[in-house]
Amino acid sequence: MEEAGFSTVVLTPTHEFHRVVGIPRSAAIEYPYGRPVGQVGDQEGQRQVLLEALSLLEKARKPGEVYHLPFTWPEEPKKTNWQPSEISPIVKLQLDDIKKARQPGNEKA
Amino acid sequence: MEKREKRVDGFRFIPPALRAWIRTSIPEEDFKGYIPWTPTTKPLSQMTIALVTSAGISLKSDLPFDTEREKKEPFWGDRSYRIIPRATTEKDIHVNHLHINTTYIQQDINVMLPLARMAEFEQEGIIGHLAPKAYSFYGFQYQSTYFLKEAIEPISIQMNLEKADAVLLTPA
Repeated sequence: MEEAGFSTVVLTPTHEFHRVVGIPRSAAIEYPYGRPVGQVGDQEGQRQVLLEALSLLEKARKPGEVYHLPFTWPEEPKKTNWQPSEISPIVKLQLDDIKKARQPGNEKA
Repeated sequence: MEKREKRVDGFRFIPPALRAWIRTSIPEEDFKGYIPWTPTTKPLSQMTIALVTSAGISLKSDLPFDTEREKKEPFWGDRSYRIIPRATTEKDIHVNHLHINTTYIQQDINVMLPLARMAEFEQEGIIGHLAPKAYSFYGFQYQSTYFLKEAIEPISIQMNLEKADAVLLTPA
């Protein structure tokens, strides 16, 4: 879309993925998957996140910049219930690899 | 007192085993290749902004994204896209995505596709306009070349017709 002539900004929960593929403007947010803009019904919280994300359209000066938004999700990760009720097909297929990655000595810091 | 700026941990919500596996695919260094760039030429208050999401949102009056085929072919993701008019609310949509809990979007579309918030910004003059249409696709894509042709290209053509200046993307 950027190549098609639009200025784009991605509001992303995992900015680290952008090391694999370059993204013009990233607004990194530490929110659970499925709710990058905010909590259900929290209009003011959603507004604040959006204002910060949109500000990148004016302030980003070169491609690849990642802006870390200052917001903190109020729940502990285990309580967010962001995962699907059924394990996704690709994760199910790769379960052996997933277990191996977790073994001591294999895990990246 | 020195202000410590937040450094987002993109893996905070991912369970440890899954996190370790995903990290095997993530390099330690920043991306060094070509990144396309379209600089903005007007202030936010004059821009027409389009919303695009990869969360598998579709209108109830439209075909839902195909998750049944993905269950049989785990490396396949639906490559189509859907148009979501700007007045759409959570009452008007289905959400089909096998990699997230879609409940929250179905309770409040704005947690993923903030149409109401952006319409408010337009009323308040914070942005110039919210584009008449938003776009939704399915973010789990392995065959990205076909996906670019089948979804991103037609979406870009439509956004061009609507004179969008910028796009806010919200991934699932």
